[in-house]
Amino acid sequence: MNLGTRKLLDRSFTALGIGSIVIMGLALLVVLAPIVSKGVGALVFRETIEHRKLLSTEFHRGDARELEKEIALSNGYRQKAFDMLAVFDRELEQMPPERQEQYRESYDQVKTALRGLLGPLPGDTDPELARNRYGQTRWDKAEEKLRELLYEQKWDYSNPDVIAKPYDVSRAPGFAGTSLVRLFPYVEQNLDKMLLPEWTFYWGFITDSSIDAHFFGGIWPEIQGTLFLAIGAMLFAFPLGVIAAVYFTEYARDGFLTSMLRSANSTLAGVPSIVFGLFGLAFFINTLHVSESKSVLAGSLTLAIMILPTIIRASEEAILSVPKTYKEASLGLGSTKWNTIMTVILPAALPGILTGGVISLGRAAGETAPIIFTAAVSVGTAIGLGDVLSSPTPALSWNIYNLASEHEAAAQIRHVQYGMVLALVTVVLLLNLSAVILRARISKKLKG
Amino acid sequence: MQNSSDMIDDGASKQGRSSVFIVSARKRKLQKISQKSGEATLLLIASFVAIVVLFIFWFVARDAIPFFRIRGFQEFFTSSEWYPADDPPRFGALAIIYGSLMVTVGSALIAVPMGILASICLSDILPFNVRQYVKPVIEMLAAIPSVAYGFFALVVFAPLLQNSGGPILMWAWWLIATPFLLLMVIVASELLTSSIAKGAMKKTAHLGLNLILGALAVLLLYFVGNHLQGLMIMSGTNALNVSIILSFMALPTIVSVSEDALQAVGRDLREGSYALGATRAETIIKTVLPAASSGILAAVILGIMRALGETMVVWMASGNSSHIPDPWFNYLESVRTLTATIAGDMGEADQVTGSARFHVLFAMGLILLVVSFVSNLISERIVVRQRKVLSGQ
Repeated sequence: MNLGTRKLLDRSFTALGIGSIVIMGLALLVVLAPIVSKGVGALVFRETIEHRKLLSTEFHRGDARELEKEIALSNGYRQKAFDMLAVFDRELEQMPPERQEQYRESYDQVKTALRGLLGPLPGDTDPELARNRYGQTRWDKAEEKLRELLYEQKWDYSNPDVIAKPYDVSRAPGFAGTSLVRLFPYVEQNLDKMLLPEWTFYWGFITDSSIDAHFFGGIWPEIQGTLFLAIGAMLFAFPLGVIAAVYFTEYARDGFLTSMLRSANSTLAGVPSIVFGLFGLAFFINTLHVSESKSVLAGSLTLAIMILPTIIRASEEAILSVPKTYKEASLGLGSTKWNTIMTVILPAALPGILTGGVISLGRAAGETAPIIFTAAVSVGTAIGLGDVLSSPTPALSWNIYNLASEHEAAAQIRHVQYGMVLALVTVVLLLNLSAVILRARISKKLKG
Repeated sequence: MQNSSDMIDDGASKQGRSSVFIVSARKRKLQKISQKSGEATLLLIASFVAIVVLFIFWFVARDAIPFFRIRGFQEFFTSSEWYPADDPPRFGALAIIYGSLMVTVGSALIAVPMGILASICLSDILPFNVRQYVKPVIEMLAAIPSVAYGFFALVVFAPLLQNSGGPILMWAWWLIATPFLLLMVIVASELLTSSIAKGAMKKTAHLGLNLILGALAVLLLYFVGNHLQGLMIMSGTNALNVSIILSFMALPTIVSVSEDALQAVGRDLREGSYALGATRAETIIKTVLPAASSGILAAVILGIMRALGETMVVWMASGNSSHIPDPWFNYLESVRTLTATIAGDMGEADQVTGSARFHVLFAMGLILLVVSFVSNLISERIVVRQRKVLSGQ
């Protein structure tokens, strides 16, 4: 092969390598960008008067007098729409039955959409579920609902080779000749005066409990559950892991027993996370009966054995990287081995041990599979500290799955799901970032 | 090293005071006992890890074996009919095992080449300060919780695939295949004309081959691209979706362990190869990679294990339909994996703890456990063997 081709191959090889890294960076961006942008939308959005009503009724927040003024203002505009509905109702009654049928289905859809926007219409019975007691709390969702009001979605089945495509048909012509036809342009033009949207920072998303299966409210129970589980896991795993690492580095003799133990450590590191969940169910709950059924205790124990190998490995590395001169100097001054470990080696290795601990904390917070069978429930209030031994808890990781896949109205609460994912990803990435910074400071200290 | 108590001993007795630094024989014995018992306690705590591993095997197997006792092995491994809720329930897990294999292989096909290339780039090509910025990116990829990946796969990626999957695949094909085909054309024409002596004939042959192969490559690009563009993806939650996301989850493992293996090869080998006039690419491919091959193999095994054992991504985005796809390589169909079945079916099976439905999930867990254990053993043996070879050289 001549030199030119070899050089070309060399350059393209370099390009391939750099390309892979660029693709990984892009992938990271592509995954994080929607999560961050839409997750922030759960906290910062244009809230409508319905949301302010909700906050005032359920959480007793906000200026009551200001709210009353706003309600009066918006009611002024809503009343006209309600009057149009009333007039059409009377027209309907006077129509012959076949014409009534013609309008019935579309009219019901119009009323449902209006309820989704403004809340219960005059004449409706008091709804049981909280989600039906208020209209749209977010302006972006209100605009989507407005489309549902103004247009009907039909499906185009004409091309048999292709999946049916949806398309929109305006509702207004369907009501031509009746009084209802004026409702559509009226609502379209005056919706902002009926809902009075305003930018807000809903910090309650982090501190409130959820109302009616996450339709309203916040995600505090989930955040607290994740904190309980992760901190509980660390309480069990951290001391055990550090002590085991001390044994491996300082006391273990090279032999069959030690290599078996190290093998066991890496085996434990490789066990799939769902198998940890099965073990937690079979051992902690069904055999040891640490709690009657799911509980934070069982979940923490399961998570603890999952993160144990990582803590052991990181602590081992940290202890091994302490210069031998420290240990030799301490022993030379007459200290015992145990004293040396406690007063010289461990403090010197502490940053590295903490780095491993912080990364494991992030992992314990983010894992779902071990807690599915042992600790997690889908709905619930934030449990008190005294209940950790016996009751299960909602958790960010489990509830993200639950809201996205199993929830009855998953498509309507997307913003809550994004908010949860953002919360979880933020917690984990912050922990990892602090570990990276810690490690950079350690390597600087060791070099200099 | 002289015992310090001896020196102080002399000084104290010289001054006539009783020395508190003499350690009596009894005290020394006590010290030794407490030291030994302390060590024993530490050993106990350290062996906690081994005890846990044994317990995991024991308890998972204990709840898995009853299934095989009730239903036997044949149906589970050879039948594709998975209907655990039917009246005579059927537990044919072949399609589910196939689904696990399919997404694992798919993610390996993407992650292994990319991971090895990236680790080579990190260890040999990138300058040190750039490496300090790239490593956090890879660590962040590893740190993102699997639920977040699963959410992305379900809510962002699946609709994207479903609505415009064909064009996306076509663009991916063009972006990836064009540079490769270009390179192959140049190298192939070079190799084929290498036997001809230098001169005008060589130049014309070279040019001719370039044109012919180039035309073939363009035709290939065009036809495959067209076919891809016309693809209709029925459901965005399919094996392709899961494979792509899983590959990005397995990448950090492969990259970091491979990088360690590449670093362990050492500078001598590389410098020798450069001294003989090889380009960097030739050095890496012909010298460094073979030397680090066992470590890289271990890294690949670890990465594949990660993809096999992943639960949340597959549960949310694989479609969860237990059937073997129509042409067996059709990644655009929904599949079901072992991990997703365990996670999903346990909710219904939990109440009936004595039943085959509960035990079959443990049987699947046992399969996963055994496979991961064996792969771990293999990858450890490989690493140990490589360490012996490298230090023995």
